[in-house]
Amino acid sequence: MTDGKKIKGGYLGNILHIDLTDRKFWLEEVGEDFALKYIGGRGFGAKIVMDNLREGLDPLGPENIIVIAPGMLSGLYVPASGKTSFVSISPLTGIYADSNMGGMFGVEIRQAGYDALVIHGRASEFSYIWIDDDEVQIRDASKYKGKMSTATERELKEDLQDEEVKVATIGPAGENLVRFACVNSEWSRNAGRTGMGAILGSKNIKAIAVRGTKDLPAYDLDKLIELSDRAYKTLHDHPMMKFWQEEGLMSVIDYANTLGIIPTRNFSDAHFEDVDRINGEVMTSRYKIGDSACYSCPMACGNICLVKSGKYAGTVTEGPEYESAAMLGSNVGINDFSAVLRGNYLCDELGMDTISSGSLVATVIEGYERGLLSLADVDGIALSWGDDSSIMKLLEKIANRDGIGDVLAEGANGVIEKFPQLKPLISQVKGMDQSAYDGRVGVTMALAYATSDIGAHHARAWTIAKELEVGADWTLEEKVDLVIYHQTVRPLFDMLGVCRLPWIELGFDENTYAEFYAAATGVEVTLDDLLKRSNAIYNLTRAINMRLGVTRSDDHPPERTFNDPIKTGPHAGEHMDRNLFEQLLEIYYQRRGWDKDGRPSDEQLHECGAL
Amino acid sequence: MDQVAPTSSGFSRSRALTIVPERCSGCRTCEIVCAIHNNKVNNPKKARIRLLSLYPHPVIKMPIVCRQCKVPKCMDSCPSDAIYIEEGVVRIDENKCVGCHECVVSCPFGAIYVHADMIAPFKCELCGGDPQCVKACPKNAILYVPEHTLGQSNRLIETLKYAHLKEMEYFEHGVEKKLSYAEIETGGLREKEKKEKSEGEA
Repeated sequence: MTDGKKIKGGYLGNILHIDLTDRKFWLEEVGEDFALKYIGGRGFGAKIVMDNLREGLDPLGPENIIVIAPGMLSGLYVPASGKTSFVSISPLTGIYADSNMGGMFGVEIRQAGYDALVIHGRASEFSYIWIDDDEVQIRDASKYKGKMSTATERELKEDLQDEEVKVATIGPAGENLVRFACVNSEWSRNAGRTGMGAILGSKNIKAIAVRGTKDLPAYDLDKLIELSDRAYKTLHDHPMMKFWQEEGLMSVIDYANTLGIIPTRNFSDAHFEDVDRINGEVMTSRYKIGDSACYSCPMACGNICLVKSGKYAGTVTEGPEYESAAMLGSNVGINDFSAVLRGNYLCDELGMDTISSGSLVATVIEGYERGLLSLADVDGIALSWGDDSSIMKLLEKIANRDGIGDVLAEGANGVIEKFPQLKPLISQVKGMDQSAYDGRVGVTMALAYATSDIGAHHARAWTIAKELEVGADWTLEEKVDLVIYHQTVRPLFDMLGVCRLPWIELGFDENTYAEFYAAATGVEVTLDDLLKRSNAIYNLTRAINMRLGVTRSDDHPPERTFNDPIKTGPHAGEHMDRNLFEQLLEIYYQRRGWDKDGRPSDEQLHECGAL
Repeated sequence: MDQVAPTSSGFSRSRALTIVPERCSGCRTCEIVCAIHNNKVNNPKKARIRLLSLYPHPVIKMPIVCRQCKVPKCMDSCPSDAIYIEEGVVRIDENKCVGCHECVVSCPFGAIYVHADMIAPFKCELCGGDPQCVKACPKNAILYVPEHTLGQSNRLIETLKYAHLKEMEYFEHGVEKKLSYAEIETGGLREKEKKEKSEGEA
């Protein structure tokens, strides 16, 4: 399949390995076959993590590795090409994991001359990694210990005396090995999910600072320029562009509420009565002070917000976007946007995932309200929906592993172990908390969560909008195919290092990416050729998970999806039919070519490099 | 946007680049477009316009680019007379440049850049009168405007502030509209006269 093709550009050619235990560095050449098969970003990461798998691997032990891989288009003159994947085995779920961030960090890694970083071992002292083009150092970070994400980044830039250095840090949550700690860069670009920050924390690494000055190679720069000029123009002229720059993903709040899929009070409901107090309009009219964009992206979906009055006055943060606003807003019953901003600010600065944080905090509130937890269990804090002061307290307790926070810091599985009575209340798959789209209404979303390789994450296959908008009369096969298509095209975006928003929100033609790939590498391909590669990555991560013990019984949406009907809104009274779901899962395995237990065929395993 | 053809009359640079940092999203499209257009290379570190982004205190994103000073500090500081003005554009003669970087540190705006691959520093030369960054900026934060309009937005703000704008609502074809206006001092003198008169009578 890769025969006769020759890569003539697009890659820097080297993967940088850093062994913290032995303080050693080495370069591994990116082989032709490897590049053609795994493309970059998430693809590179999945293969490298697969090759490192071993019996009894502890995600927080020195034997785990973390791969930081920008995509192969990252940094090139291509719209929204600033994505970088962090790939490892998750301390939250114990299985394959990746999480990506936008911004400039990955571009800088590529400019320093590397297609990916692989970090091994554990540093003996609290350290940060400094990559200055060809020079790599492990440096003492004791002065940054316990510092918040943004403060660490600022001080590092000052200490390195270069404002153009790009920095990724962990906050106190990552240092304290909170199992859903994130990696933060440039204030608010987060590799948020699956606990990548805890992995860096377990390796005694506070931050990675990079300075790269090299040219990024493209085989046919003229062609790339021509394609991109056209792409930027298409996006620029899009009628929704202005709206995207203005509200960004915050516009989804109203949309999700209208559809009746917004998480409300720990997913006990899917319609929020006070939605007009936390929506995009509130943000733009009262809080927004500026726009923010990732590298070379015209959409600028980031919003910089400032609280100008009240008890959170002075809180300035980038965000929230939809997920954070819903999980730290409606899902914990908060109807005051300044409190949503405060929650978002705390999670970013402490360095933990807003989705898991919002989900677990909501679970504890519901548990307490329903008498499943005693006042002593929750450290004497009388929790109630929308009580922002106690919610902020809980967030800080998680990051500091204090009291009940220490239980929550262990993630959904840890909470269930300590408080089994909360199991029916936690909306999670494979140990990862469900994102902010209710899965009870759209069966494709339930299937997407259930079969996601990292746990219940919306960005693996965000199918719900399409299903609810146009999918009413679809056959089950068509529904399954939608999920599989999303699960196939999305890895491709992460492998190329481009954002999916121009495609999914503005309808940007995904075939263009095959042309970008061809211009960059000199290898002519069609979108289908690339999708074969990204489909193989899905088989590969499935294989990793099966080796780590995942079975068909783990491909299951949160229990609430079946057991608790939605209370209010357009879908009041509805819940997912268990039989329908099981039927769908059956069809899903068939159409993927997997057996009845969800195992890819030997041919597939060979093809993806798992065998 | 109209282009002004360069002439030798000294009027050639009747337009200037100006930045509206409030609009900037920090996407760095200007950088990559600049590097590609001027150096034919995919490297934002070789751009002549560069973003500086500060947060969280203060929050500001600002592309920094040469202002084509009429009395350039960089030119003053150059020991090898490599910097010259041609039709209003400040240029660096790479053949004369000795690579001492005096110009880089003397520019009060920090708008001259260096890169390890090049001996001579580099700066914005306005792309021959058709700045690519202006066309590429998705937020319209980089403008190329007639020089005499520089400062006009501040003049406008100042004027509006001074005018103590008042508003009235009215209906046009059944649609509610708002009209803003500045109330000029009218009738004041006569009223004052009347008042003085009545006070005098009392």
